Amino acid sequence: MSTLVRRLGLSLVLLAGITVASFALLRVMPGDFAEILLTQQMDGEMPTAEALDRFKLEHGFEDPLPLQYLRWLGGAATGQLGVSFHSEDPVIEELVLRIPNTVLLAVSSIVTSLLIAFPLGIGAALRPGSLFDRAAMMVAVVGMATPNFWLALLGMLLFSLTLGWLPVSGFGTFAHLVLPSLVIGTSLAGVTARLVRSSLLEVLSADYIRTAHAKGLKRIRVALGHALPNALVPIVTLIGLQLGKMFDNVVVVEAVFGWPGIGRLFVEAILGRDFPVIQGCILVIGVAYIVINLTVDVAIRWIDPRVREAL
Amino acid sequence: MRAHSVPDRSYLLLGGALAFTLAAPLLAPHEPDAFSLSLRLQGLSLEYPLGTDHLGRCVLSRLLYGFHVTPVAAFAIVAVAASIGSVLGLLSGYVGGVIDQALMRVVEGVFIFPAVAVALTISAVLGLGMGAIIVSLGAVHWAEYARVVRNLTVTEKTRTYVLAAEALGASPNWVAFRHILPNVMHAILVLIPFSMSWAILSFSGLSYLGLGAEPGSPEWGLMIAEGRVYMRSHAVLVLAPGLMILSVVIFLNTLGDRLRDRFA
Repeated sequence: MSTLVRRLGLSLVLLAGITVASFALLRVMPGDFAEILLTQQMDGEMPTAEALDRFKLEHGFEDPLPLQYLRWLGGAATGQLGVSFHSEDPVIEELVLRIPNTVLLAVSSIVTSLLIAFPLGIGAALRPGSLFDRAAMMVAVVGMATPNFWLALLGMLLFSLTLGWLPVSGFGTFAHLVLPSLVIGTSLAGVTARLVRSSLLEVLSADYIRTAHAKGLKRIRVALGHALPNALVPIVTLIGLQLGKMFDNVVVVEAVFGWPGIGRLFVEAILGRDFPVIQGCILVIGVAYIVINLTVDVAIRWIDPRVREAL
Repeated sequence: MRAHSVPDRSYLLLGGALAFTLAAPLLAPHEPDAFSLSLRLQGLSLEYPLGTDHLGRCVLSRLLYGFHVTPVAAFAIVAVAASIGSVLGLLSGYVGGVIDQALMRVVEGVFIFPAVAVALTISAVLGLGMGAIIVSLGAVHWAEYARVVRNLTVTEKTRTYVLAAEALGASPNWVAFRHILPNVMHAILVLIPFSMSWAILSFSGLSYLGLGAEPGSPEWGLMIAEGRVYMRSHAVLVLAPGLMILSVVIFLNTLGDRLRDRFA
């Protein structure tokens, strides 16, 4: 239990760090935040120096930074993240609208990558050195080296523009989800397939596997029923790592496919220097990252009975 | 490590690749920026082996000049990352104690954080542009270097040559950088090809989104973005730069695998 508590503590420290960084973002950005805010409230009219001073005093911009941070934190905890510089909508509304879309894409991408990686990795491990093994590992190497945005365009060109099977871009139906998930899924599957292969091979050489074979069990039963569960721990760790870093993929792929998620919102905000939105996105990404990593920690302990019992 | 430096094929491979990268623009049949609207979107020909783009620029020449954009930017990113990581790793491993504990917790956190998101945020604060992206991507990629260098430093600092240098009164700086660093250098070198791959994929991806290389540059990701509109009739505009990135990354990963087998 103590490691889990330690992890929880570490996560809290991280959360604090992420909120401080988010808060700092609006203070270190180019230009005076109070001035930008007031100019916006006056519909683009430049405020006078006195008006600016009054505004700063009223809204607490002259208070010590730690106090400002705490006030901001209280607001953030209740969903007050300010308004977008561009759309002038509350940031929280944008985020709430887009978070489910990104979660959907992330989950379906991970599932896709596993559907690709497991057959390749298991098949390769069952007959190491075979033609299938070499072909599968070749696919993995190419998958790892293919730029996401390029694969996305190739997929569009083939499945949407030439064959007309799938929509080019957009959102709404299951068909819209296929290409983006395939693109992210393929790029993740390479590493996973290699790991499935190597960790399954390692387990397959263990004594208890030989015993299972000696008892006359079928090859495939031994591999899937006896070896795979024990090969799973490093794989779950990797999946957790991929989920935590998922945002790096999502940023690019959402932009290419016009998928209305956090990634596209983030890129648009960066391009337009929309700092309140950037701040909101960073908070979401940070919190998601902490939740994912804690979940993976628990999952790994739960999968491995030796660790589970020690809890 | 002298004992390791028997020449083998990975060095030949590396040398050849470096020479080709340096010489690539010399092989270009045209100037990369020479445009002519009357020659736009030409098919493949002897004059233009890969055709021309929407501004009538020679695609092959731009690809070859691209060797001095994408890989160079990636190298700069890796140089930033490796420098930060090595210095922090040396400090952490050599000083030890609370500093080591704290730094390694930070490394744990940075290592699994979505790096591109952080890099984009940093570069937005720095004012975007290619320089900002290079610095920010480097600044989020140092964790692996720090961890590897730190772990090796912890064992190296108990070796006799370090103890001898310390006994002779060498300053901690001198011991760390003049004695330990050269002996952990091989581990840093092994990481570089994989880092380069990551940097090339990230940098060209951000350039594709309009967040990396400046418009007009023969950057491969940017070329794909510019060719996207004409992809249906002129697939080569998207295919060629993508294959370029793909082959360079496969080359780097293969080189990395070889180096790792050799040193680790």
